[in-house]
Amino acid sequence: MSTVTTTPVFSVDGLWKVFGPKADRVPADPELAALGAAELRARTGCTAAVRDVSFDVRKGEVFVVMGLSGSGKSTLVRCLTRLIEPTAGTIAIDGEDVRAMDRSRLRALRRHRAAMVFQHFGLLPHRTVLDNVAYGLEIQGVSRAERRERAAEFVAKVGLEGMEHRRPGQLSGGQRQRVGLARALAVDPEVLLFDEPFSALDPLIRRDMQEEVVRLHREEGRTMVFITHDLGEALKLGDRIALMRDGRVVQLGTPEEIVATPADDYVREFVRDVPREQVLTVRTAMRIATAEEAGSGPAIRPEATVSEAIEAVARAGTPARVVDSGRCLGVVDAEGLLGVVAGATPPADAAPVVGTPSDPAAGSRAAGAAPDPMRAAPGQRREAPRPPAGTNAEQI
Amino acid sequence: MATITAPTSPRTLPSTLKRPAVRKLLTLAAIAAILVPLLTTRWPGTTWPAQLTVDLTTPLTHTSDWIIDNRDTHPLFLYGLGHVSNAVVLSVRAVYLALLTAGWPGVTALAALTAWRVAGPRLAAGTTAAFLTCAALGMWVPTMQTLALMVVAVAASVAVGTVLGLAAGLSGRTDRALRPVLDTMQVLPAFAYLLPVVLVFGIGVPAAVLATVVYAAPPMARLTALGLRGADREVLEAVDSLGATARQRLLTARIPLARKDLLLGVNQTIMMALSMAVIASVIGAGGLGDRVYQALASVDVGAALAAGIPIVLLAVVLDRVTAAAGAGVRPVRRAVWVPALAAAAAVALAARLTGRTDWPTGWTLHIAEPVNRAVDWMTAHLYSGVPVVGGTADWAARFTTWILDPVRAGLLWLPWWSVLLAVAALAWLIGTWRTALTAVLALAAIGVLGVWKPSMDTLSQVLAAVAVTLVVGVATGIAAARSDRFERLLRPVLDVCQTMPQFVYLIPVVALFGVGRAPAVAAAVVYALPAVVRITTQGLRQVDPAALEAAGSLGATGWQQLRQVQLPLARPALLLAVNQGVVLVLAVVIIGGLVGGGALGYDVVFGLAQGDLATGLVAGAAIVCLGLMLDRVTQPTGRRTTKGA
Amino acid sequence: MRLRTTALAGTLLLLTGCGAADMTQQASPFAGARGAKTVTLSVQSWVGAQANVSVAQYLLEHELGYRVDTVQVDEVPAWDALSQGRVDAILEDWGHPDQEQRYVDDKGTIARGGGLGVTGHIGWYVPTYLAKQHPDITDWRNLDKYAPLFRTAESGSKGQLLDGSPSYVTNDKALVKNLHLDYQVVFAGSEAAQITQIRQFAKEKKPFLTYWYAPQWLFEKVPMTEVKLPPYKEGCDADPEKVACAYPHTPLQKYLNAGFAKDGSKAAAFLKKFRWTTEDQNEVSLMIADEKLSPEEAAKKWVESHRSTWQAWLP
Repeated sequence: MSTVTTTPVFSVDGLWKVFGPKADRVPADPELAALGAAELRARTGCTAAVRDVSFDVRKGEVFVVMGLSGSGKSTLVRCLTRLIEPTAGTIAIDGEDVRAMDRSRLRALRRHRAAMVFQHFGLLPHRTVLDNVAYGLEIQGVSRAERRERAAEFVAKVGLEGMEHRRPGQLSGGQRQRVGLARALAVDPEVLLFDEPFSALDPLIRRDMQEEVVRLHREEGRTMVFITHDLGEALKLGDRIALMRDGRVVQLGTPEEIVATPADDYVREFVRDVPREQVLTVRTAMRIATAEEAGSGPAIRPEATVSEAIEAVARAGTPARVVDSGRCLGVVDAEGLLGVVAGATPPADAAPVVGTPSDPAAGSRAAGAAPDPMRAAPGQRREAPRPPAGTNAEQI
Repeated sequence: MATITAPTSPRTLPSTLKRPAVRKLLTLAAIAAILVPLLTTRWPGTTWPAQLTVDLTTPLTHTSDWIIDNRDTHPLFLYGLGHVSNAVVLSVRAVYLALLTAGWPGVTALAALTAWRVAGPRLAAGTTAAFLTCAALGMWVPTMQTLALMVVAVAASVAVGTVLGLAAGLSGRTDRALRPVLDTMQVLPAFAYLLPVVLVFGIGVPAAVLATVVYAAPPMARLTALGLRGADREVLEAVDSLGATARQRLLTARIPLARKDLLLGVNQTIMMALSMAVIASVIGAGGLGDRVYQALASVDVGAALAAGIPIVLLAVVLDRVTAAAGAGVRPVRRAVWVPALAAAAAVALAARLTGRTDWPTGWTLHIAEPVNRAVDWMTAHLYSGVPVVGGTADWAARFTTWILDPVRAGLLWLPWWSVLLAVAALAWLIGTWRTALTAVLALAAIGVLGVWKPSMDTLSQVLAAVAVTLVVGVATGIAAARSDRFERLLRPVLDVCQTMPQFVYLIPVVALFGVGRAPAVAAAVVYALPAVVRITTQGLRQVDPAALEAAGSLGATGWQQLRQVQLPLARPALLLAVNQGVVLVLAVVIIGGLVGGGALGYDVVFGLAQGDLATGLVAGAAIVCLGLMLDRVTQPTGRRTTKGA
Repeated sequence: MRLRTTALAGTLLLLTGCGAADMTQQASPFAGARGAKTVTLSVQSWVGAQANVSVAQYLLEHELGYRVDTVQVDEVPAWDALSQGRVDAILEDWGHPDQEQRYVDDKGTIARGGGLGVTGHIGWYVPTYLAKQHPDITDWRNLDKYAPLFRTAESGSKGQLLDGSPSYVTNDKALVKNLHLDYQVVFAGSEAAQITQIRQFAKEKKPFLTYWYAPQWLFEKVPMTEVKLPPYKEGCDADPEKVACAYPHTPLQKYLNAGFAKDGSKAAAFLKKFRWTTEDQNEVSLMIADEKLSPEEAAKKWVESHRSTWQAWLP
C-alpha cells in the first residue's frame, strides 16, 4: 500500500449497456442517447440499464456503487467482468482492455483477478461448504488435496469452522453469505466484487457481515467494488461512492461530499435522513481562525467527525481548533457545528475547503447545481482522469 | 367436454378475460362468414369432401413391399438398422442372461439393497415382497424377460432423451424446434407407434425396444431441458464469474442442479417404458406382456391377472424407488454401494452353489383358478337381472343408445366445416391462436387422410368417456381432498388402475358390458380415472390455506368453501385434469378396438394384424391428429411438465 | 429424429462391430438362454393353435430335449417373422395365398411343412337352441325376417352379425352388402371379446348370429348351427368386393422356416410329421380354454392318453 498514484484497478469510461433489439445504435446516436427511459423504450424497444458511466476504482479502496433497484448498478458490476456484455465504452483492468479480451484471457481474468459475491449467494446446493469454497480453485484445476486445504483455511477465516461438511441448505442466510465470501476470497483475487451481498439478510446479521467486510479490508487491503441500495451501508463501507439513478452516475464522491454537498435534489432527498454529524468531518464546519482562537481551545484532527467535535466543543465551552500536523487549519464553533447538523448551507467562505484543494470537485457540484444539457454529450465528460472528477454531473 | 366445463367457466373467468374472448369469437365469426359460403358452394354435404382427400393406399403398399423385399439386401438395412437391431438383441440378451445367472435370490437381494440404499428400509421390504410375489406367481422368467427389455429400453431412452434434452436445454433454437415435437409425442397413444416400427424391424424384441424408446424418451428429453433451463441463474452466474469453461459449467453446475428434474425424467421414462413394454407384446416383446396377451386369447382372466400383478408390482416399486431417489431421501455415497453389491453377489453365489436359482415349483401360487371363479360369479350376477337398477348389460345398452349414438350421430350430422370452427373457437378461447391453428390443421389432416367418419366415431367415444371420467374423477377427487383416510384408501387402488395392463381388464369388461363401444369407454374410464382423481385432489389441496381460512372466518360452510374458494382457485389443476383425461382416454379408446370399439382403434389393430400398412398407418396418423387436436383444445396456456399424475 | 438415429447408430455400430448386419437373421434374445437347442414356435391368438403348439412343445421338450420358445404373433406378421427366422414354424395356417407366393415361391425363405390333418371351415352360426326354435333360420334367405331378433345397442335398427379378430379372414361386410341383408357387422376386435360375448348370450339363451370357425372348442360349450350361405364355388371369392358365397373348407397347413427345415434337425423332422385330427385338437383346446388348464398341463394329459398317435411323429 505504499503506492501513491498507480494505474487504477478498474477504469471505466463511457460505458453503456442497452438491452433490446439492435442495442448498438443507442449509444452511437446522440439523439437516442439523450432520450429518457420511457421514450427510448417507445422509440426503439430498448432499455438502457447503464448509460454513459465513467469512473476509476483505485487500488486498495472500497468503491461503492449505490442506487435504488432498477438504477443499473447490478448490471454495471456485471459488465466489469463481462458477465453481461457491455454495449459501448471501455473497461480496463490494470490498464488492460477487458472488452478486447478473448475467451481464455477473460477466463483468466475471472479466475484470478476479480471474484464476485452475490446477493442470493449463488452457492451450489449439491456441494458441501468446503467444496463450495474450493469450487473456484477446482475450476482453476488446483489438485483436490491442495484446494481443500486452502478452502479450509478460508472457511476458518470467515468463521465457519466445524461446518465444512454441511450443505448450503443447512445454513442460515448469514452463514451462506460467509461461504460466498470465502469462495471469492479463496481464489485470492485482486478485486472483490460485491453485488448487494447483504440485502437478503436480517439487519443484525447484515451489520455483522458489514463489520466482517471492514475487518477483511483492514487486514488485507484488497480492492473492493461494492454494490448496495442501502445508503447507510454505502456510507459505512465506502471510501468513495458512486450514486446511480436510471443508469447514470448522478454523483461520485466521498461519503462526506455526498452528504455535505448533494449534486442535485435527488441526492439531497436521498441523504436527507443521514445523521450528518456522524458522516461529515469538521472541515465542513470549519471557518478561518481569528488570531486568538488559533492559540487556544481543544485540538481535533481534520478527519474527526462533526459529532466528535460537538463533544469536544461542548466539554471545553470554546471553539475547537482543527490541527493537522501541528498546523492550525481553522476552528469550529458551536454555531458552525449546529449549522451542519441542521443541514444549513455551510458558510460560504468554508466551501472551497471541502475536499482536497487540488480536486476539481467544485466543478461537479457546480454542474449539479446548474444542470446544463449540453454537458451531457458523451465527449464532454472525458476531462476527468482523476476521481472524483469523473462524476456524471448531468441532470436527470 | 364443453358441457362439463361450461358451468364453472363463466363464473371463474375474470372479467378482463371476457373481452378478448369476445374479440376472438368475433374474429372467428368474420373468417367463417367469408370462408363457409365459399366452401359449402364448392363442396356441399356434411362429411369431408372426397375431392379434398388424398389416397395413400398405393404409395404405402409400395413402401411396405419395398421394405419387405429389400430388408435382407439393401445397405440401409444391412449397415444401418441391422446394427441397431443387432445391438438391441445383444444387449437385451446380455442383461437377460445376467438376471438369469443371478437367479431369484440374487436379483431380489440386489433390488432390495438398492431400494434400501436409495429409499430406506420400508421400500426395501416392499421391493423384496414384490419380487418374491412375481416368483410365487410362477412369473419369474417372464418378469426377467420384461426387466431385461426394460433395462435396455430405459437406458436407451434415457441416453437419447438426455442428449436431446441437453441440446434443447443449452440452445434456445434447438429448444424451440424440439419442443412442439416432444409435446406432440407425449400425447400420442402408444398403439400408433407400433406399425411403422414393425414394418422396418419386423416382429420381435428390437421392434418392441425401439417402439418403447420412441415412446419413453420424450419425457426424459423434456425434463432434461426443463431442468437445465430452470437452473438458478445466479448460481450459473457465480460459476461464470469464477471463470468456468462451458464444460465445467455443464458438468459441475448445470447437470447437478438439474438432478431433480433428471431423476423425475428417469422415473417418467421407466413408467412409460413399462406401459409400452406391455402394449409392445402385440409386436413380439415377449415377457409378462406376452403372457397377458396369450391369456387374453384363451379368455383366461386369472392367468392374465397372474401376469398383470408382476407388472403392477414392478411399476409401483420402480416408481417409488426412483421417486425417492429424485426426492433425495438419503444422500447416496459411493462407499455404501460396495458392501451392497458384495452382499447381493454373495447371495447370488450362494444360491448358485446350492442350486437354487430356479424358483421351487412347489412354492408357486395358483391364483388363476379362484380369480376366474370370482370373475365368473361377478359377471353371472351383474350382467343382467339385477333388481331395480338392471344389469350391466342394460346399462351398456342404454349408454350406447342414449349417449354414444346421439353424440356420434351429432358429430356426423354437423357439417365438417362447423366441426373445424367449433374446434378453432374452443382452442382459441382456452389457449392461443397458435394452439387453435394446430388443432384445426390436425383436424383437417384427418379429413385429408379420408378417415373423417371413423375419426368422428372415435371422437364421440372419447367425448363420452371423458365426460364420465370427469364426473366420477372430480367427485372422487373432491372426496379424497376432504378426507385423508379416504385418500389413503384410494391410493393403492389408483396405483393398480394406472399400472395394470389394460389387456387384463378388457375381458371382464366385455363380460359385463358386452361387445361394442361401451366396454371400450368403460376401460378408458378405468385407465384415465386415477390421473384425474390425483390432479383434482392435488389441486384442491394446494389451494392457499389463507384463502380457506379467510372464507372460514367469514362463516362459510364446507360446501361454500369448496364451491366458492377451492374449486375456483384450483381451476388450473382442473383444466389440467381435463387435458390429461382426454389424452389418456384417447390412448385406451384405441385399445378398445380389441373389444368392439371399432373406428380408428379397429383399423390400427387390423393394420397390425394383417400387416396392412395402408389401413394401419393412416388410422395411426389419424389418431395422432386426433390426439393433437384434443390436447390443443384442452390445453391451458401453461404447459404441464409430466404425463400421468 | 435424425440426430437421434445417427447418434444411436454410431454407438451401436461400435457395439456390434462393423460390416453388414442382416437383421432378418437375428434370433430372439430370450432364445436358448440356458444353452439348449431351441425351437421357436408361433402361437396364433386362437386356442386351436395353442393346442397344436402346446402338444408340439411338450413333445419337443420331453421327448427330444429341446427348449421351446413361443411367440404370439398375428397371422400375417407371423409369415414375416417365419421368413426372418424369428420363429421356426407355424403349425396352423388358414391359407394366405399372397404370403405363400411371396415367401415360399419367390423368396424361398419359407418351406411348406405339410398338412396339419385338420380341416378348417369358416361360416355364420346361430346357437342350436335358436335353430331348434326357428328351424328356417339356418337359411340365409330367411335371415332378414329374423333381423329384429338380433338387434343390439351396437347394431341399432339392424340385426347384429358378430365378427371377431381383425386378423381373421373375413368377407362378412361384402357378404352383407351383396346379399342385401338387413344386418350390421359388429367387430368384436379380438377372439377373446367375441367368445366372452357369445358365452354371455348363451348363458341367457339370447339369440345371436356370429362369424365362427371350426374346429373350435367353443362348439362343445355353446352348440351352434351353421347358417347356409350361397354355396362356395372355386373362385367365387376372388374379388373381395363382390363375394356372395360361403367360405371354403380349408385343409390347414404347416410352414417352416426354410433354413430350419433344411438343417435336418430332429425338431424339423418332428414338426413335419406332426399331424392329428380335429377331435384331438378340440380335446386339448377344451382343456385349455374351458377347464383352464395351463397349456402344458393340457398337453401332458393328452400326451399320456394318446401315446400311439404321437409315437409316429418322432423321428
